[in-house]
Amino acid sequence: MNLVDHFRRLFAQGPQPPGTEEVERLRGEFAARYRCFRDLLSANQRALEALAELEQAQAGDYSPPMAFVRGRATATAVNVFRMIQNLEALAPDRYPGLRESFKAVQASVEAALGSAPAPAEGPLVLPLTEAAASGEALAGPKMAVLGRVAAELGLAVPPGLVITTRAYALVVERGGLAEEIARLLQIADLERMDSLLATCSQIQGLFMRAEIPPELSQAVEEGLAALAPAGPEPLRLAMRSSAQGEDAKGTSFAGQFTSELNVEPTRWDEAYRGVIASLYSPPAVSYRRHMGLRDEDAAMAVGCLAMIPAQAGGVAYTADPLDPATPGVLISSCWGLPKAVVDGSWDCDQFRVSPGPPPRLAESQVAAKERRYVCDPVEGVLPTLVEPELIRSPSLSRSQALELAQAALKLQEHFGGPQDVEWALDQGGKLYILQCRPLPSGGAEDHGALVSGAEDQLILRGGITASPGAAAGKVRWVQTGGDAVSFEEGEVLAVEQPLPRWAPLLGRAAALVGVKGGAAGHLASVAREFGVPALLGVGPGGRDLAPGQEVTVDAGGRAVYAGRLPLPGRPAMDKGLPDTPVRRALAQVIAQAAPLNLLDPEDPHFTPAACRTLHDLTRFCHQKAVEEMFSLAAQEHFPLNAARQLYYHAPMQWWVIDLDDGVRRPLSGKYVRPEDILCAPFHAFWEGLLEIPWQGPPPLDAKGMASVMFQATANPALATGVKSSLAERNYFLITKEFLNLQSRVGFHFSSLEAMVTPQAVDNLVSFCFRGGAADPARRRARLAFLEEFLAGLGMAVSIKGDALLARAEELPAPECLAMVKALGYLIMHTRQLDMIMASPQRVEHYRTKIAADLAALGPPAGA
Amino acid sequence: MSPFKVLVVDDERDFLESLVRRLQRRSVDAAGVTSGEAALEHLKVHKADVVVLDVKMPGMNGIEALRHIKQLYPEVEVILLTGHASVESGVEGLALEAFDYLIKPVKLDELIERIMEAFDRRKVVGELAGSPPPDQS
Repeated sequence: MNLVDHFRRLFAQGPQPPGTEEVERLRGEFAARYRCFRDLLSANQRALEALAELEQAQAGDYSPPMAFVRGRATATAVNVFRMIQNLEALAPDRYPGLRESFKAVQASVEAALGSAPAPAEGPLVLPLTEAAASGEALAGPKMAVLGRVAAELGLAVPPGLVITTRAYALVVERGGLAEEIARLLQIADLERMDSLLATCSQIQGLFMRAEIPPELSQAVEEGLAALAPAGPEPLRLAMRSSAQGEDAKGTSFAGQFTSELNVEPTRWDEAYRGVIASLYSPPAVSYRRHMGLRDEDAAMAVGCLAMIPAQAGGVAYTADPLDPATPGVLISSCWGLPKAVVDGSWDCDQFRVSPGPPPRLAESQVAAKERRYVCDPVEGVLPTLVEPELIRSPSLSRSQALELAQAALKLQEHFGGPQDVEWALDQGGKLYILQCRPLPSGGAEDHGALVSGAEDQLILRGGITASPGAAAGKVRWVQTGGDAVSFEEGEVLAVEQPLPRWAPLLGRAAALVGVKGGAAGHLASVAREFGVPALLGVGPGGRDLAPGQEVTVDAGGRAVYAGRLPLPGRPAMDKGLPDTPVRRALAQVIAQAAPLNLLDPEDPHFTPAACRTLHDLTRFCHQKAVEEMFSLAAQEHFPLNAARQLYYHAPMQWWVIDLDDGVRRPLSGKYVRPEDILCAPFHAFWEGLLEIPWQGPPPLDAKGMASVMFQATANPALATGVKSSLAERNYFLITKEFLNLQSRVGFHFSSLEAMVTPQAVDNLVSFCFRGGAADPARRRARLAFLEEFLAGLGMAVSIKGDALLARAEELPAPECLAMVKALGYLIMHTRQLDMIMASPQRVEHYRTKIAADLAALGPPAGA
Repeated sequence: MSPFKVLVVDDERDFLESLVRRLQRRSVDAAGVTSGEAALEHLKVHKADVVVLDVKMPGMNGIEALRHIKQLYPEVEVILLTGHASVESGVEGLALEAFDYLIKPVKLDELIERIMEAFDRRKVVGELAGSPPPDQS
C-alpha cells in the first residue's frame, strides 16, 4: 500500500484519459521523478527521526548504549546519502559539491563516534613487583595498586605476575573479536534480560574459543616457572581480573568480573580465557551500559597470584559506607577463603575497630558460620562444613583484627581515602592483602526511618541497611536466571542471597531485599552506586514476602511494610551520570550532525559547500528537491499535471497538483476550484478547514509576543515564511484517492498524507507537525496539547524532539475521511496556540472549545 | 497466490528463520539461505523480486554479494541489513544501488514494510523500462 503501488494499479486498470503515447510517456516520467521525490522525503524523515532520537537521548538523564549512538548516527548519515542520491537523480549534475560536503561531515561524525583506543605499549607479561612502575594502563588498576601495596608499604601480598592489557589486545586482535563483539552488541536489546544473557553468552563464547597466541603462552609459562608457592603446598593460582576502569571512583564494577581460584598452573590458559571473558559478563555489560561506559574501551589485565589457602578471610572497610562520619574500620570475616564475604553468600562475623590511637576493638558480632569455602585438593574451591566447635567462634582474634585494621588504615592513608580491602590469613596466621580499592561512599545523608505511623502494616523489621532510602513495588523473588528474565521495571527484587549476578536487575528495581548478606557484598555496592534502597540480611522472616505483593521497603529504617505507603519527599537519586564517555561521544556526534546553519533558501550562501552538518544536508536536499519537483521549470516536465492555484472566492496560497485522476477534466485556466476536485480526502480536509470559522489568532500577552518575536529574529528562515517564494507555497498533491499536503501555515510546518480507498487494508492517514515560533518549552507544550486530540481521534502519536508524528492505518474509508476532516480543523484552529501555552487558564479554554468543536464536526461528505 | 518472491540471506539462523516464517505468514513467497554464495546459487534457479542481505557474513560478504546480484539481475531490489553500523558500508551499498541500508535491531514490521516498498519500486521501474511485470504466479 503506497503511492507507487497506487500508480501501478492505475496504470494497469484505470481508464486511460484521451491522449497519446506522448501523454503516457510524460506521465511515466513524472511517476519516476515522483518516486525519487518520495524516496527523498522518506529518507529525510528517517534521517530526522534518527537525529531526533539522538537529541532525545541527549536530553534524557540516562546514558544510552554506545551501540544505539552508533546505530542512530549511522542511520542519519546513510539516509542523508540517500537524499543526495535522489536529488542527483532528480537534477543530474546540478549540485556538484554535495558529495564533498557529505564526505567531510561523514568523517567528522565517524571521528566523534571514535574507535577503540590504541592498546598500551609494553610487555605481554609482568612480574607483580613491576606492576606498580608499569602503571595502570598496562597492569590494570587492581594489579598496579597491589604492586604498590607491596612495594610502597611493605605489606604482604601474594607473589605473582600480571598478564597485561597488551596481551588482551593481542588475543582480541588475533581472533578478530572486536568486530564480532560490536556486531553482537549492536543487534542486542540490552534492556531485555533474555537478550542481554544471550548476547553475553555469545560474546563470552568467542573468548572461550579464542586462541592464545604462542608468544603469550611462552611468556606466561616462563613467568609461572619462576613463581614459588606461598606455602608448603604445590603452587596454585588465583587468577584475578584487573580491568580498565575497574575500581575507578564512581564506577567500581563491584563483583562484575570473574576470579578463578585455586587454578592448576598448567591450566592457566583456560582460566585466563574465563577471566577475560567476564569482561562481557551480563553484570559487566549492563553495568557499563548503565554507567555510560563504552564497551570498546574495555580491556583487561589478569593477575596470576599464588593462591593463599586461607584459614580466615574477608573484607575490611576503613569507613562505614553508610555513615562515613563515624570513624572506624569495619571488618567482615569468615572461616576459609574470603569468597563467602565477597559474594555475600553466608552470614559472617562483623568487627568494628575504632582508630584510636591506640586502635581498639569497639564491637564484635560473631555469626553462626556453618560453612566455609576451601581450596579443593584438585582444583577450584568448594564449600565444606565448619567443625562444630568453630561455628560460633570468632574467625579473627582481637590481635588479628587490630593488625588488620592497622594495615587497612595504612592503606587509607597511603591512597588518600577510605579503602575496601580484601584480605586473607594463611594457615600460619600471616596476613595477606589480596585487593585494595577506593570505597564507594553512599554519601553522608540521613538514612533513618522514612516511614512512620504504619506499624499495623509492618511485615518485618531488622536486617542491615546496605543502601539507604525507601521505595515501594511488587515483590519479585529471583533465584534463577529464568526469574531474572521475567523481572519487571519497578519491582522489589527479593533474593535469598545477594549474588553479584543479580546486578543487572538493579537498574530497574525499586528496592532490594535479601534474606542473607550485608553491607559489604558486591551487590550492596552496586545498589549504593545505583541509588537503589537495599535491605539485606533480614533473616528467614524475609521469606514471608509473597510474590506479587505490594510492599514498601524502608531500607534506612530497616523495615518492610505491606502496601504502598506515602514516602516523604526525598531528593531523587540521580541514577544517570551527567558526563560519561558515551554521553561525550553522543554530544560530539550531535555537534557534527544536528546544528542547522542553512536557514534561508534565498540566501546566496544556501549552497552545497555551506552544508556543515547532516542537518544542513537534509535541509538543502529537501529544499532543492521541492524546487526541482514543483518549480515552473520542473512543471514543464508534466504540463498536463501542472500545479494550479486553488480558487475559493479568491486565489488562495494553495496550489493543487493532480498526479493522475484527481480533477475533473478538461480544465482550463490557471485556477482550480474545489468543485473541480475529485479527491475525497481533499474534500474532507477542506471541510474541516472551513466548517467552523477561525476566530483569528489568540490575543497575545506581552510575554508570548516577545517570545515569538525573539525566535523570529533569531531564526531568519522563520521570517521568510511570509514571503511568497515558490518553495513556501502549500501544495496539495492529489489523485482521486490520495492526498499529500505540504503546508507552511504561519510558523508551522505540517504535512498530511492520506490514502483512502474502499479497501481498508490500503488506507493510511499520517500527519506530521513541527516548528512554531515560540520558545521550545511552549512548542513542546503545544505538541502535547495536539497529541491529546490526535490520540483522541484514534491516531498513534509519537513526539520526537519538536516534531509530532501521528499515524492511523487500515481503517475503513469513512473513518479515514472523518480523521482527515478533523485534521483540517486542527491545522486551522491550533495555529499560533503556542503563544498561549504559558497560561493554564487559556490552555484550558482552548482545550474545551476544540473538544466541543471536534465533537460538533459533521460527517465528511462522501463518507 | 503469491504476490512476490523474497530471498533472505543471513548467517544468523534464528533471525533468518523468524523473518522467513513471518513473511510466509503474509503470503510472501520467502526463502532463506545463510551465505552470499548460496544466495547466488539460489538466484540461478529461483527468481526473487527482493533480496534481504546481511552485510557481515563469513565468506562472501553482503557488499560483494550485492555487486554480483546487481550485475547478474539488475532488476532485483536488495535491502542491506547490518549489525555492524558503518556509514562507509552504507554509502558503498547505496552507491551499488541497494534499495536501503537498515541497521539491526530492526523491527520486523518495519523491515517487512521496506520489503513491500522495494517490491513496489521494482514493479514500477520494471514497467517504466518496458520489461514485463514480475512473475505474478
